[in-house]
Amino acid sequence: MGHIMGDWDSHIGSLFDIFNQRFAAPQSKDEALYGGISEMVALQREFKIFQKGRPFVESARLLGLGGLSNNLVKNLWFKLLADLSSYESDTAGQNGDERIVNALISNLEASKPLPCVLTSHDSRAKDGRKVIVTSPSQPIHYIEAPHITISLPMRPKGSKAPAAKAPPKKKK
Amino acid sequence: MRRPAQAGAAPSALASLHAGIAAYYTGTLTRFGATPLGVDWSCEPTQQMRFVQLLKLCDLSVPVSLDDVGCGYGALLAFLHARHPASVVDYLGIDLSAAMVRRARRLWRGTPAARFVLGHASPRVADYSVASGIFNVQLEQPRADWELFIADTLDHMHAASVRGFAVNFIQAPPPGQTVRRGLYATDPARWADHCARRFGAVTEVIEGYGLREFSLLVRPRGAADDVGHQPRPRLVQ
Repeated sequence: MGHIMGDWDSHIGSLFDIFNQRFAAPQSKDEALYGGISEMVALQREFKIFQKGRPFVESARLLGLGGLSNNLVKNLWFKLLADLSSYESDTAGQNGDERIVNALISNLEASKPLPCVLTSHDSRAKDGRKVIVTSPSQPIHYIEAPHITISLPMRPKGSKAPAAKAPPKKKK
Repeated sequence: MRRPAQAGAAPSALASLHAGIAAYYTGTLTRFGATPLGVDWSCEPTQQMRFVQLLKLCDLSVPVSLDDVGCGYGALLAFLHARHPASVVDYLGIDLSAAMVRRARRLWRGTPAARFVLGHASPRVADYSVASGIFNVQLEQPRADWELFIADTLDHMHAASVRGFAVNFIQAPPPGQTVRRGLYATDPARWADHCARRFGAVTEVIEGYGLREFSLLVRPRGAADDVGHQPRPRLVQ
């Protein structure tokens, strides 16, 4: 997916950061009731921002996860997120978009929601062309808190797309 | 009848501060347009989350008049239409930024019962007044001056609201932490006590809605007995 950002691929990290800040773990007991994942839980409870059938990109737009500094980068990022539904996921029967939305809904409505981290993996690797959600995980070694890691498949611009997996043969 | 024009400090004492606020929000509007960012909120859900809390003040099951102090481009009006479509609200938005008021008037042109005026206080007496986020961005103002502005604004809101008013503040951080430079943060008791003492009012603090802030609802004593009372809103000419 990273190729969608084209020459703006160096912004991907900062776009991840926007999501990761909005879904971050509280850094102290005093922060446990506000900010980061607590804010997201409250917003989800009040407005049902993430909904089954609503593409992730629409919720991302609503939350301003495209950043402020560059409209071209923002639009490319939303184009990338809109393409998630064309990817598989690590869960059978859910495409990449559905996997993310379902994972976020379950988490935000759980009794103990976990902070979330958005990251990427190389889609050219074996089975790489999938959205992967790992929970619980420990993606940030300097923050001792269980997270949900959402990893998007990406490859560099100009690289060859991995061959699409052949559809399973129908049994006769 | 209350006289909103007599409330608060002398206009000249705060004129410079008001001008600074107007310039700041004219700048955000110029940069981001009629969007949550244009009134300095991070996104629409957090903007609306504040409206949800402030409107807990209001009984919208009956027709009401509502003043929106620091209305910006009138986002509260859109929220009212979406969230309370059956409610009948005579809405008046008040803002210090002339550009913001022009934008709001253009945006809501033709909408019944929606008016916008330029100023720091409402020219009428309404059922309720709300103000969202207007005390947060202190900029380079000394804290004492900013608190004078807050007290003056609360005086005006009290004088212009028969059934109560609601505002919000950034919650003061715990010891050892600071808020971002240019922001005003406070403890709930600071202004809840002020309103209870100065206005003889009943105050309610709402916290725990996911944002590092609190909403302060201020109702006159005996307000619960006044349900159904319908003051006729009027514009002071």
